[in-house]
Amino acid sequence: MRSVARLVANRVLLPCLGALLVLSLWEATLLAYHLPAIVLPSPWAVAATLVELVGTLAFWRDVGVSLYEFTLGYVIGVVLGVAVGTLMGESRGFRMSAAPVVESLRFIVPFAWIPLTILWFGTSYTGKIVLVAYAVFFVMVVSTARAVAQVEPTLSRVGTMLGMDRWRLAWNVHLRAAAPGIASAARAAAAIGWIAVVAAEYIGASAGLGLMITNAATSLATAVVIAGMIVIGLVGAGVSALIRWGSRTWLDYR
Amino acid sequence: MSATPGTPAIAPPHRLPPRVAGWMLGGAGALIALCVWALLSQVLAGGGGVINRLPGPLIVAREFAHYVTGDLVRDLASSLRVFLIGWLGGVALATVAGLLLGRVGVLGNIFLPIVEAMRPVSSIAWVPLSIVWFGFGLTSKIFLVGLAVFLVVIVYAVDGSRRVPDDLARTATMLGMNGWQRFRSLILPGTLAEVLIGSRVSLMAGWGTVIVAELVAADSGLGAHLISVEQSYDVPAVMAAMVAFGLTGFAMNAAFSWVERRLMPWRHERGAHER
Repeated sequence: MRSVARLVANRVLLPCLGALLVLSLWEATLLAYHLPAIVLPSPWAVAATLVELVGTLAFWRDVGVSLYEFTLGYVIGVVLGVAVGTLMGESRGFRMSAAPVVESLRFIVPFAWIPLTILWFGTSYTGKIVLVAYAVFFVMVVSTARAVAQVEPTLSRVGTMLGMDRWRLAWNVHLRAAAPGIASAARAAAAIGWIAVVAAEYIGASAGLGLMITNAATSLATAVVIAGMIVIGLVGAGVSALIRWGSRTWLDYR
Repeated sequence: MSATPGTPAIAPPHRLPPRVAGWMLGGAGALIALCVWALLSQVLAGGGGVINRLPGPLIVAREFAHYVTGDLVRDLASSLRVFLIGWLGGVALATVAGLLLGRVGVLGNIFLPIVEAMRPVSSIAWVPLSIVWFGFGLTSKIFLVGLAVFLVVIVYAVDGSRRVPDDLARTATMLGMNGWQRFRSLILPGTLAEVLIGSRVSLMAGWGTVIVAELVAADSGLGAHLISVEQSYDVPAVMAAMVAFGLTGFAMNAAFSWVERRLMPWRHERGAHER
């Protein structure tokens, strides 16, 4: 009984105390420095703005655009990345010849591509889709190649003994054995891809959450900025949870 | 090249040693990629398609050389200053906070949920707010980089401060260490070792944040240069600036690996085996 009480205290009461502390610190700063709402709105103003935003159609359009760009780019990036990564893991020659190109492109972080995608594709959705696909692709290539190369050698021998050829082995044995590693890379890639969409929308976009919060920042609607940040965080966490749930239900054969 | 008489040669004599073969394959791959790029730029040069502004590798190389002899040093110094101050500040704060939250149970229970709630909001989502708060200058960028690095490193710091190996803890008890000695020789080194890994992971997070912050609040640095050439539709210069970003990221990673090998040689014992 006592341990239950302690668990409740540690897991519920103390975190609530922490949240309360942050909120009161926030309010105290407002009171102490008499900050105007354009610098720091009160937590209640942010909450009210969030509720108000959720009721508007424009907000859902921005969320929808960002999610559309993310989803399409993510799927393209994951499929291509896993395919190329598997090839790199399976064939030594391909790995060695592709490594310098992959390694040197990997160091050009996706954000550095934003101006170029704007020059190439304008403020359309295509530019963001390409950017997300690029960001996700390199995460997936590197970790898929590693996961495939680290598959238990016994499994390959069993497959060979059962008369599988090289590509059957890759598809039926290696990819499946590497799947948990690939799934956790897919989750990391989703976080990077999601934030790449937001960053790209800061710089050139016609709609989306990133544009929404930069527009709000330039018009000094700080409550909207903070509400938008919360939404960006929630969507990112939601996508991550969805992928974790998916990989748990589809890949749980360990 | 010849095996001792009587024992069969392991590899056929005409085979190249694996390292040379690797270099040749890698060189061939890079060459093919460059050729494809050059060819594509030729094909797309006259077209009116979506991608009608792709300069060839030679033009980009020339533009890069031009940039290196020109403003690169000034831009790079400005970007690196933001990065270094933010990165060092973020790592230092995360180490102290990680030790406190990891070792003091009550503080951990109160504040770790807040850190966890903040982590999904990438520091890049903070860019507009940071500009409202701190303006376009150095402060807002340092804040953003520091935040990005802090949110990565604190996880490693908390983890390292809590994961003291049992046998070492028992040894410390056996040696009659008091609280301070335990902290100095057991908890602190373990935490710092994890922080070192975290700071490596945070390198690219911090560098990416510098890029985005400079693209949005474009007053100085590589990102500001990138935006200014983008706005004058100078595609070769844009690509040259991207090369500069890539090379800087690569150099930072290499420098950090070198420092890491110096500080913690046991981490690289696998590399030593391969020699």
